[in-house]
Amino acid sequence: MIELRFHRALYAEKAVDEAVETFTRHASFERAAEPTHLVVRISGRDADREQRIAHELANFALGLTIKAGGAMSS
Amino acid sequence: MPVTFDGIPGDLVEVELDRGAMSLQVDETLYPLEAVYAAAYVFIDRCYVFLDKPSEGRIRVTLSGKKAKLEGDLARETVGEFANELLSCAWRAQIARDSRATIESVTARALSGARGAPSLDELEAFDFSEEAFDDPLGIAMSWEEKYAKKKKEGAAPAEEPAKADGGAAK
Repeated sequence: MIELRFHRALYAEKAVDEAVETFTRHASFERAAEPTHLVVRISGRDADREQRIAHELANFALGLTIKAGGAMSS
Repeated sequence: MPVTFDGIPGDLVEVELDRGAMSLQVDETLYPLEAVYAAAYVFIDRCYVFLDKPSEGRIRVTLSGKKAKLEGDLARETVGEFANELLSCAWRAQIARDSRATIESVTARALSGARGAPSLDELEAFDFSEEAFDDPLGIAMSWEEKYAKKKKEGAAPAEEPAKADGGAAK
């Protein structure tokens, strides 16, 4: 399992949610909210796949955040 | 295994060769978040980019290669390009901030001009007595004014063509 910690000051919560929604078919996800971070735990078939999905999900969440005008815009 | 590069401060860049990734720590007072976002967006197609805040006023950018592991020359090249892009984006953000007032003023004028024709009440209240602008070259002169002047000059003296002929014979 891989844990991604998205800082709330850098990633929009809506963007992280949308990214998780997009990758739901490829792995199983567990969400947790902390005061400073949005935590996403990824479980996939194997370690390589988990790593690849984690990378792609992080890129996707960052792209959506930037397109939305930043973490503080929403 | 953390490695440092020549020419890049060791406390700013950390490369983990075994993971094929590297982290760059950025001072937020020098490089605002919007510049970090812009630089990250440029790299998003060739690297996996992850942002984090290790401490207040610092942003950590982690880059991992999509096609090949970031190591050796490729790692150095990538971190150098990212740093250049970051500087460029920070400068552009500064210019955008500086010219924001001008852009807003021009946009407001354009939008007010696009509101359409004024109403009768607005026209009634408008002061037409004031000159719109100086016109020392007579560019704003109407066709009627120009035509009327030429007609007067052409019709006045009847002897003028003869004078002109005499001048040509000499």
